[in-house]
Amino acid sequence: MTTLANGGTTTASHRVVLTGFGVFSSIGVGAAEFAEGLRVGRSGAKPITAFDTEGFAHANGCEIVDFHPEKWITALDAAELGRASQFSVAAACMAIDDAGLQVEELREQRGLISVGTTDGESFDLDHLVESRLARGPEHMDSTIARRIRAGRLSAAIAHELGLTDVEAITIPTACAAGNYAIGYGYDAVRTGEVNFALCGGADAMCRKTFAGFYRLGTIAPELCQPFDVDRKGILTGEGAGILVLESLESALARGARIYAEVLGYGLNCDAYHQVAPNQQSVARCMELALENAGIEPDQVDLISAHGTGTKANDITEARAIRSVYGDTPPRTVSIKSMLGHTMGAASALAAIACSLAIVHGFIPPTINHFTTDPECEVDCVPNQAVAADLRVVQNNGLAFGGNNAVVMLGKYEEQR
Amino acid sequence: MTAITAEDATKVKEIVCEILELEEDEVTDTSLFREDHDADSLRAIEILASLEKEFKIVIEQSELARMVNLRGVYDVVAEAQKAAV
Repeated sequence: MTTLANGGTTTASHRVVLTGFGVFSSIGVGAAEFAEGLRVGRSGAKPITAFDTEGFAHANGCEIVDFHPEKWITALDAAELGRASQFSVAAACMAIDDAGLQVEELREQRGLISVGTTDGESFDLDHLVESRLARGPEHMDSTIARRIRAGRLSAAIAHELGLTDVEAITIPTACAAGNYAIGYGYDAVRTGEVNFALCGGADAMCRKTFAGFYRLGTIAPELCQPFDVDRKGILTGEGAGILVLESLESALARGARIYAEVLGYGLNCDAYHQVAPNQQSVARCMELALENAGIEPDQVDLISAHGTGTKANDITEARAIRSVYGDTPPRTVSIKSMLGHTMGAASALAAIACSLAIVHGFIPPTINHFTTDPECEVDCVPNQAVAADLRVVQNNGLAFGGNNAVVMLGKYEEQR
Repeated sequence: MTAITAEDATKVKEIVCEILELEEDEVTDTSLFREDHDADSLRAIEILASLEKEFKIVIEQSELARMVNLRGVYDVVAEAQKAAV
């Protein structure tokens, strides 16, 4: 998607592959556990404990309950990082381990760190505002205040790992931000601007976002039920997904395991409405991704939907899919049924889920599904995973403000 | 039919006009927020939230369908007040 220099030509055009994953989710930590959670249709839904939920008639969410950042974050003091930054740094460390990379080697190379987020450190902001209102500004905690810049979600990764020849960027395009971050990394590796990219998204549960969605009437009382006729909304979640992107040459040269190939991506922003999705623009974004990846619609084996479980999203997205794919679209699942809406981490975790589905040959189910909404005419693979040979998978990320980003992933094959 | 007091009706109108950024003489009891005053669904939710706060009542989200003009809002508020007693 970047405009290339030299009148549209570039000397380098690398194939880009995914070789390492860092995963924190309510249904599993690490790629292996996450894959297992997806396969068995695990649910991360439970009562929220991250903040006081008094006054809300219902308050389920998909929290990560036993997160120990100090297991991963060793150079920095974890207490100096907000929870979202802790997730992103821990996930980046895990991803590098998973890729079999040595930090010392990465320090010698030029890299990119791009992390998407919706809320940044809003959990900390909640606390600062609360203490200011209750006790006055002089009682705001200075340690917490130092943690709140969203730029730290990416910068802290560079800091922790001692990476100096990197661009570290936090991309705040809300619930599609993970895909934006992957797209940015894809371009940088593809054109040879960098040798490696650590990309993904991170978010932590916070009262601000819960209350906002609650007020919009879009928080489900108990479960997230995408594409179901009785769906009642989202469950907020948290976590991080960080992916290691490198060129195919680099991965082959070091004998790395290749999870999947990034085939391309598309993004657009329609600014049509603050919260209402626009069908035409969502469809256009998918077309942009297909075009960028050089893929025809009939080659796509699976769509990982944005699939929030709200009335508006699921109808609009299903219709947009049918407008691009016709009357027999690929199977279209929502992993948010299992891990809730992890906001800026959502499309990054979904990209990892798509890759694991490709590697392990299965389609993750849409759980909590009873009756498909006749207005959402897609096969969402209800409740049970199915075996499938997947060559091309599309990962949708759609966000407020009409920020859409779609990433195309493919099984790694020597010839493509 | 539960009626709203004149005093509460004045307050409701004030809140609605504040949120929709309208002068009070631009709005009639039956002029439609969306069609006549260009309001969108987020403004409707803002109105609902402000009314809940002002009158210490609970208004179900489904009532938004009736809150299309001032008369609809008066009725919904009156019923919610009655339910809160």
